Amino acid sequence: MSAALQWIVNATPPPGDASPQSFGHPFDIGQLPGSVAQAIWRGSEVAQAGQSVVSSGWTALDAQLPGGGWPCNALTELLQPQPALCEWRLLSPALARLAAGGGHILLVGPPKRPHAPGLVKLGITEKNIVWIAADTPAERLWSTEQLVKANPRGGAILAWLPQARAEQLRRLQVHAQSCDCPVFLFRPETAQLDASPAPLRVLTTLGPDWNLHVHLLKRKGALLDGPIVLSALPGTLASVLTPRLMHPNQLLASQPYLARYQTRAMNPVGRCRADLHPPGRLKSAQIQVD
Amino acid sequence: MSMHWAALLTNAACNSSPRIDPQGVAVWALQFTPRVAQKEHTVWLEVTQSMRLFGGEEPLHQHVAAGAAELGIRALAWAPTSLAALACARMGIRDGFAMPLAQVLDPLPIESMDAVNAHQATLARLGCKTLADVRKLPRGGISRRFDSQLLLALDQAYGLRPEGYPWVKVPETFSAKLELPGRVDTAPALMFGARRLLVQMGGWLSARQYGVTAFTLHWCHDAMRAREAGEGGDITVRTAQPTRNVDHLSRLLGENLAKVQLLAPAGELVLRATEVTPCIEESRSLLPDVRTCGEAVDQVLERIEARLGHKRVLRPRLVEDTRMAWMVHWQPINAQKPATKVRQVPGPQPTWILKNPLKLDVRNECPLYQGPLQLLLGPERIEGGWWHRAKDAEGGQHSLQVARDYWVALSQHAGALWIFQQRLPRNEVASWYLHGIFA
Repeated sequence: MSAALQWIVNATPPPGDASPQSFGHPFDIGQLPGSVAQAIWRGSEVAQAGQSVVSSGWTALDAQLPGGGWPCNALTELLQPQPALCEWRLLSPALARLAAGGGHILLVGPPKRPHAPGLVKLGITEKNIVWIAADTPAERLWSTEQLVKANPRGGAILAWLPQARAEQLRRLQVHAQSCDCPVFLFRPETAQLDASPAPLRVLTTLGPDWNLHVHLLKRKGALLDGPIVLSALPGTLASVLTPRLMHPNQLLASQPYLARYQTRAMNPVGRCRADLHPPGRLKSAQIQVD
Repeated sequence: MSMHWAALLTNAACNSSPRIDPQGVAVWALQFTPRVAQKEHTVWLEVTQSMRLFGGEEPLHQHVAAGAAELGIRALAWAPTSLAALACARMGIRDGFAMPLAQVLDPLPIESMDAVNAHQATLARLGCKTLADVRKLPRGGISRRFDSQLLLALDQAYGLRPEGYPWVKVPETFSAKLELPGRVDTAPALMFGARRLLVQMGGWLSARQYGVTAFTLHWCHDAMRAREAGEGGDITVRTAQPTRNVDHLSRLLGENLAKVQLLAPAGELVLRATEVTPCIEESRSLLPDVRTCGEAVDQVLERIEARLGHKRVLRPRLVEDTRMAWMVHWQPINAQKPATKVRQVPGPQPTWILKNPLKLDVRNECPLYQGPLQLLLGPERIEGGWWHRAKDAEGGQHSLQVARDYWVALSQHAGALWIFQQRLPRNEVASWYLHGIFA
């Protein structure tokens, strides 16, 4: 690389000043012909072109992800401290867009039952959801591999593989290279200590006040220090939370012990929801402050 | 107009492979041309009209040869007349178009044609060994000395007189039988024979422009079976989309057979197409796809379902119900989709749900789940289901009515949770349950 740069500098010496001091000047990429400039990758930048991506729906996250979104043609490992924690909060903007385009959202071995009415409210319509209830690790791996090989274009594969070994993931990664949809593997936080062939590894933890802290453990390009903070309110709660409840940690901090709910707050007349009353009946809990 | 004939000999298969039924081969061959004739062990195809459809002579030859190889047919020959093709197939000559027809046929022995071989003894005494020798005899003498069939057959073989056959008609239904060469003890080993039947069925489906949605493989136990094993067994395989893709069908059948245990060794297989619907194949585009597409997603899901078992690959169907557990019916992917539009339930809904609500510990009147929970919103009262009764194990009935107060609770480690408190009569302490997670 340095030899190539030297050659370029030598080939076009600045007019009038051919002295060796010109090597000391900071290198300006704008001097290069366009095709050469595109091919040069500097250590400080994130890989940009060359792969198709699906926008994550989070501007702050897209800016840091190589290519500007969740990668297609590669595995994405999503690590969480515990399963069923924040999958949909993180992925639903991207998945809703894929589902709107008619793509299948394929769930392989999720740790809990997916609740379709909740997902519909996030924009993932029920006809796009497929739940593959694979229990054993071998079944999950096999199903995931078959789906990745099938290349469900326009959709997404979400697989929960807590016990997968590196060589099994490598096999998936090889298949994923010819798959035009994002493949998300959910794994426990402890998996970050093991090596993984996935080109993108993301650790998500819960932050205060509905925030998600997203750590990019591995990506193509420079390492990112510190988390990306996303204010990811659970989609179905957005319409019912009061402004005060947007910052629940302030409420918690302002009181020495946890709030006691009051049975008085309940409506004395039992309401039957079978007749589908209009929404907006939720009241925020009364929090006693000493 | 010159003709293009293929002759397939079904009785020349090697001994280890199962004997193939010539009628079945004729049905399979109907996918290439409507002009298929069958006599004794021979099946003829006349493919002049189908050349362009299959992309020319060479691709068509490969197509037929590949299919024939899968059916276990080794003796296959191409020639300008049907009798010449048959003679070439018997003598192991593949291509009767390599030389002018007379040069191909002349050196063949007289055993290669049935009508000539009938007079083998007399002809041998005359010193005739090859067809050329017979042709050198004076025509008048032949017609007086032998029957008229010999001269007719020779003329037809050399293309001097026209040939006529009654063409095989496409049967309305498909059912094919295969006798296995040996006893088969395990169900997966049936795949070898079943694959041949599937290839035949693929040919029939193409000929009729059909796609199969259900087919049944029936196996007959052989005579040396235990009394309680019964006559045989069968397995029915269903597909969501009508298809005639033999590879897909055989993978589906393979997955299903892997779970079957044979009660006794099987000796015979019968395959039936039980449900078929008209199916239009997608037209091939002029420009090839940028990237070769994998299998269709539906086909893969079917295969996964076949391996994992029934009710393991599911799609949700929303139901208008207010009770959390009854809002969604998870149904197999092949199930019919209802056309009715379901109204959305107002209010928040979690994204994960527990099948059986988890009872929570309570300390200081505060529910615990991975530490104390902070109640944020509520109560959301859900009451209903008085009409809904279910049978329990003892045969009695119990009501599925619920009366619950749902709350959104916040946990430091597990995020936002959907918990409820059972509504009980006065003076009873209600306990807390975890039912969903806003993940």
